Amino acid sequence: MRRDVFQAIADPVRRDIIDLLSTEIHTINEVAEKFEISRPAVSKHIKILVECGLISINQKGRARYCQIEPKNLIPAFLWIEKFHKQWEDRIDAFENYLDHIQTKNDTNE
Amino acid sequence: MSDLKNRTITIEKSFNAPLKTVWEAWTQSEHIVKWWAPPGMELQVIEHDFKVGGKWKYTMPMPDGSPFISEGIYKEIIEFEKIVTSADFRPMTENVELQVLFEADGNQTKFTFRVIHPTVDYCKQQEAMGIYNGWGSAFARLELLVNVSVDN
Repeated sequence: MRRDVFQAIADPVRRDIIDLLSTEIHTINEVAEKFEISRPAVSKHIKILVECGLISINQKGRARYCQIEPKNLIPAFLWIEKFHKQWEDRIDAFENYLDHIQTKNDTNE
Repeated sequence: MSDLKNRTITIEKSFNAPLKTVWEAWTQSEHIVKWWAPPGMELQVIEHDFKVGGKWKYTMPMPDGSPFISEGIYKEIIEFEKIVTSADFRPMTENVELQVLFEADGNQTKFTFRVIHPTVDYCKQQEAMGIYNGWGSAFARLELLVNVSVDN
């Protein structure tokens, strides 16, 4: 199965987990308590998030802490902004090219 | 289809050139190679079969050497008026629809460009946006890193 940022954010529970962890580090137990779904289900989502590289788990004593890895979310928002901007840039380039061939036509006439 | 507007990028322009010039510059491969690629990048037209059902395929070598392929199939062509084509931009986004509308306005040309994202892409985008919005401070710290990635 694909393991990337888009897979990570494809599920609403995983998005909520990311939101939760974006403000504070929590233990796996604390994360599980915030959700109405079963603990194994939460664990499964956490496992996927780890595999997608969006969170890491650090063991301290008996507690396992989940920490966000924001760097790996970058592709998701870069993709959106870059895509829109790419079209604007491309159409600006088209306009410049039109100006260029217009000027050339004027010179030839 | 009520979400259609939300998953559509629209760019409207008025070009200071007559319709025929704009149409030819947009549709003929010898012109396309001059403006399609971002500055410093080389565009190669592999296929350009400008008719309904015809395929277009362009490639640009990325800085790391891998090809960035853009391709699609023309769905509708009304000369000097409208072009509709499917488009895949690998590896970025797939299965979008491009609509280009042209309208003469004296010696100028009104131009409307739309990119319609498939529902799946649109959802991904919204999800990423939602996360992005809720992440102000984390992303503010990352801005520097992002700028570095973009420049590279």
